[in-house]
Amino acid sequence: MKAVNVITALTLLALSALVLLGTWELPYWAEFAPGSAFAAFWVAVVGIVLAIALLVTTAMDHGGEPHSFPDRRGLVRVAALAAGLWVMVLVIPLIGFVPAAIAFSLFLLLGIERRPLVPSLFTTAVITGLVYGVFIAWLGIALPTGPFGI
Amino acid sequence: MDALASLAQGFAVAMTPTNLLFVFIGVTLGQLIGALPGIGPSAGMALLLPVTFGLDPVTALVMLSGIMYGGMYGGTLTSVLVNVPGEAASVMTAVDGNQLARQGRAGQALAAAAIGSFLAGIGAVTALVFLTPALSAFALGFSAPEYFLLALLGITATASLGTGSAVKAMIGATLGLMIALVGTDPIQGTSRLTFGSLELLEGVDFLPVAIGVFGIAEILVSMEQTQASAAVRTRLRDMWLTRKDWVECRMAMLRGGVIGFVIGLMPGAGPTVAALLAYVVEKKASPHPEKFGHGALDGVAAAESANNSAAHGAMVPMLALGIPGSASTAVLLAALVLLGIRPGPMLLTEQADLVWGLIASMFIGNVILLIMNLPLAPLFASVLRIPYSYLVPGILVVSLVGAYAISLSLFNVGLTLFFGMVGYLMIRADIPRAPLVLAVVLAPLMESSLRQSLMLSEGSPAIFVQRPLSAVLALLVIGSLVLPLFGFFLARRAARRAGVAEALSHSSD
Repeated sequence: MKAVNVITALTLLALSALVLLGTWELPYWAEFAPGSAFAAFWVAVVGIVLAIALLVTTAMDHGGEPHSFPDRRGLVRVAALAAGLWVMVLVIPLIGFVPAAIAFSLFLLLGIERRPLVPSLFTTAVITGLVYGVFIAWLGIALPTGPFGI
Repeated sequence: MDALASLAQGFAVAMTPTNLLFVFIGVTLGQLIGALPGIGPSAGMALLLPVTFGLDPVTALVMLSGIMYGGMYGGTLTSVLVNVPGEAASVMTAVDGNQLARQGRAGQALAAAAIGSFLAGIGAVTALVFLTPALSAFALGFSAPEYFLLALLGITATASLGTGSAVKAMIGATLGLMIALVGTDPIQGTSRLTFGSLELLEGVDFLPVAIGVFGIAEILVSMEQTQASAAVRTRLRDMWLTRKDWVECRMAMLRGGVIGFVIGLMPGAGPTVAALLAYVVEKKASPHPEKFGHGALDGVAAAESANNSAAHGAMVPMLALGIPGSASTAVLLAALVLLGIRPGPMLLTEQADLVWGLIASMFIGNVILLIMNLPLAPLFASVLRIPYSYLVPGILVVSLVGAYAISLSLFNVGLTLFFGMVGYLMIRADIPRAPLVLAVVLAPLMESSLRQSLMLSEGSPAIFVQRPLSAVLALLVIGSLVLPLFGFFLARRAARRAGVAEALSHSSD
């Protein structure tokens, strides 16, 4: 848990520095009122204080409670799902939202979960019907379409 | 009497066929979402919020709130039958509920939970009827300093009243404040932390954050292992309490309901803390504390009464002040804003039909849920037989389509995925996610009221303690920050004493 806490604290320090640097050019105080950088400055200060507090409490904690990470197989499944989601978002402009969702659903059920073909096809059909029925037909949302016209 | 007349008007709104249908849809979805491990009511509400875009505001809100309290009922089913809490607030129910199921008393455990939830829910909504107008009228006297302090208290209380590390809860809230800083400054109109991106000029929408941090992150965690948990094989008969069971549970339901409502009123605590506290109190009050952990029916009744009561209690500050006390009410508040309604003390007068219709719908929803959880419990239990992996692609696709529907922009879909990854890393780093979402919701109110206050006082922070009410709120904020520090030093002192005792016992060996 110690390593995770140290990484968390360092990430928070970096984000606080980013907030400070990103608002450096903005006024902290404009003539009669707090300026655009006022809240950003104090949020960054709180971030730095909390990062230091986490580092100090972690250093003072001698319990050494181990962190529970998923096993290798679990990590591969999570990474595959995350990759599948990002690929889906990237191909939406090329093939359309609904075909990308169909491809993603089949990848998840057949590729990651190793489910049988027929229930996977049925599940994908139900999902497609739900998206079409609720978002396209009922709410009238124009989802991006691809070369297939859907 | 005014409140009762308004409530009667609310029933007229809630009893229209469309609203009744959406109360039913909301509580049914809540029941199912609560029963599914891996996705909680706040995630379910965030995922389904885009579906309400085409609805009338009252209809949308009765459905979303139905998901919120329906989830409290649904979580019991998985806790009792599978020993996996369907949502966090049912964690204490799993302890004794599953033991009862293994003893062949699943029916009694589910009945105690359903009846306790129903009675506590109806009691909490009744209290809501009288407390909301009173608090709302009181809050009409609030000005910028009080609003800043109240919003700040909403965030700091999350840290001190939560169940985990206070520092980590505050880190979650700070991340939320950082996200809320992105976009155009609400007072001066300059762009802030957009790094040249035009898409970020309008700031980060609440929904991509909520859908990502709650929905997608929970799915990613559930993917770490194949879902192989099996339900206890039991016949769900005798779904009622005997006279002996009722005598055993009635005070537990009352105590749990009162504790839950009070905890629900507090910002940052929520149903999980309420269930934990009610269980601990019940164990102390029970004539048979030794049964706790081995199948205590009153333990189940107390925890379930408390979590449902807390879910309703959290509506009071949300409706009266526009300050959400929990992650679920934060989503509900965001729904109000998305539907073009301004939350705050004026809500009750400006949108009386909406508020009273919503409150009346909760009475109706609790009755529907009681029916669903007594005679229809076996039907919902059969849903647990559907392998979770078949539900995952549907949840993810609907999440992403919903994120797209907010502004018809693929940028928001990418943002949702980004926050999904952030939420996953937060879970792995043990950082609570509710403070982040609460901070994103409360940050605009907090920043504008802070800057208005300092504008009024020409930069003097004394404005935050000048009026008695703001001074009290300032003290509460300080108290909520000092409380975890106090707890930390007490824990260290106890650990040191335990270490000394252990060293002495070793030396005597």
